[in-house]
Amino acid sequence: MTQTTAIIAEDEEELRNYLLKKLTMVWPELHILGAAENGVAALELIQRLRPHVAFLDIRMPGLSGMAVAKKIIGFCRVVFVTAYDQYAVEAFETEAVDYLLKPVTRERLEKTVLRLKETLHKSVTPSTESLAAIERMLAGITGKDHRKTCLRWVKVQEGNRIQLISVDDVCYFKASDKYTLVRTVTGESLIKRSIKNLSAQLDPDIFWQIHRGTLVNVRCISGVSRSVTGRGVIRLKDVPESLTISRSCMHLFKQM
Amino acid sequence: MFGCAHMPGLVMDRKRVVKSLLLTALFNTVIALFLTHLEYGKGFAVNLIVAQCIGLSICGAILAGHFLVDTSTRMRHFFMILVAMGAGAALGSLLGAAIAGFPLEAVFQGKATFFFQLVSIGILFGAIITYFFFSQERISETRRQMQDERIKRLDSEKTALEAHLKMLQAQIEPHFLFNSLSTVLTLLDTDAKKAGLMLTDLIHYLRVSLSKTRAENTTLHQEMEMIRAYLNIWKIRMGDRLEYHFRIPDDVKAHVIPPMLVQPLVENALKHGLEPATEGGIVAITAVRENGGLKISVTDTGQGFDEFGDAGFGLCSIRDRLKSLYGDKARLTLSENQPRGLKATIEMPYDTNNRDHR
Repeated sequence: MTQTTAIIAEDEEELRNYLLKKLTMVWPELHILGAAENGVAALELIQRLRPHVAFLDIRMPGLSGMAVAKKIIGFCRVVFVTAYDQYAVEAFETEAVDYLLKPVTRERLEKTVLRLKETLHKSVTPSTESLAAIERMLAGITGKDHRKTCLRWVKVQEGNRIQLISVDDVCYFKASDKYTLVRTVTGESLIKRSIKNLSAQLDPDIFWQIHRGTLVNVRCISGVSRSVTGRGVIRLKDVPESLTISRSCMHLFKQM
Repeated sequence: MFGCAHMPGLVMDRKRVVKSLLLTALFNTVIALFLTHLEYGKGFAVNLIVAQCIGLSICGAILAGHFLVDTSTRMRHFFMILVAMGAGAALGSLLGAAIAGFPLEAVFQGKATFFFQLVSIGILFGAIITYFFFSQERISETRRQMQDERIKRLDSEKTALEAHLKMLQAQIEPHFLFNSLSTVLTLLDTDAKKAGLMLTDLIHYLRVSLSKTRAENTTLHQEMEMIRAYLNIWKIRMGDRLEYHFRIPDDVKAHVIPPMLVQPLVENALKHGLEPATEGGIVAITAVRENGGLKISVTDTGQGFDEFGDAGFGLCSIRDRLKSLYGDKARLTLSENQPRGLKATIEMPYDTNNRDHR
């Protein structure tokens, strides 16, 4: 049987050296082909050297360990090295995927090495499905929900610098000629994004479109009333102006 | 703050219009009964018609005035009511006279005494009912305002408390502690001296950030030393990928600042800016006296801000704390750093008395 080969990918130098040292102690016959300090370098190493096993840190700059694993499906076995909670990571221990918890202990490493030796000949590699399941679980642990995909910040040009305004601070967006007016409690600015673009990217639970040209932050609404003509009017907290609701958007407030 | 608070009746809804008209009609009936009782006019039926015409005209004119005319100041509002009352009374008198069958020609031929009598009565009672509505509205407005104030006060108390709680939680970030201890453990095996240095920094960081005496205030100097220890720990973990500078002039070092205000900004710069950047970068912390204020900036050359990224709850909590401590006199702004990265700036009042002379 040919000699088993491996690579290590870990961004923290001390941890990288430590893992290298421990691995050579626990598994002297293992030939470590190289070590990478970020995800991009790791992927390059794997594609070039075709190791049997890749020890991948999950959190790495450039490309995460998870992203690397997805790109090398079929190439080699994967052992994730992670600082996540033990109970959470135990769940994704499968035939094809193993994990090591930081800080790596000798006992845990021995167990992993033993299992690798036993199963290497089977040449099982992680499947897309199992990686996707792990990813979902990690997303659950780190609390990244759907808000991740919503726009959280707007960039506003102020003089010669670009200011960032959190959407939580925005009372409303209102179309104004070619631009869009961003109103916060402390002032207003213009941005180039269109209302249409904003309404597609903002969290629809927080920003309601009450008019073709107006998106209002529902947390800023202090009251809604009807004018004599039947038009809905929104009063806002902390800013004096009120906003009109178009007839087609009135249904948003029907049950209120 | 509340734009509508001193403008009763700016937003008129249908319910209120109907309510006003019904109340006016009731009031008119009372007037008609009263005048009939005094044996004024030509019987209850006629009095009722005339009273309803005048009263409803006035009420209608005032409501229309609210809708058509800009009544955003007290003066304008008062003036509008005055004009509407006169016009309403005149129109109502004419209408009432026409319906009740009085000869209208008499008015135009100079014998207008009776007509003016009607208008005067109309204005008198109109004034009474307008005043009644006005004070009603005032009462409900004041009540609403009081409630708004109460809600606002409770709200700000709540945010202050939450911010304080978050600050307490932020003092010991478990993930940071855990990662650092992992690194110390591995260093013990490879470089015991470095492990010792790292533990020293960790102890310094924990001692300062957990100290109960700094629950309220700390000095800029003390805070910077704590952040230095924090950055040293990160430096061991990130190696050459991290570089940092402090530019704190001596004259601001003794200034008193709330604890854990700057540290979350440094944490954000590391976590969202430099750690995910393959080649790492620089963190610079500067403080400067400017325009009578103290300006503290944390700048990084990391990968900049992800528009869809999480704000890092630290930022919101800093903003809340600044607001509860300094009101509008302090603020936190974020801007893009050139050519890359992010710059977070806290501006707060520079208080010459607010110095620690220990």
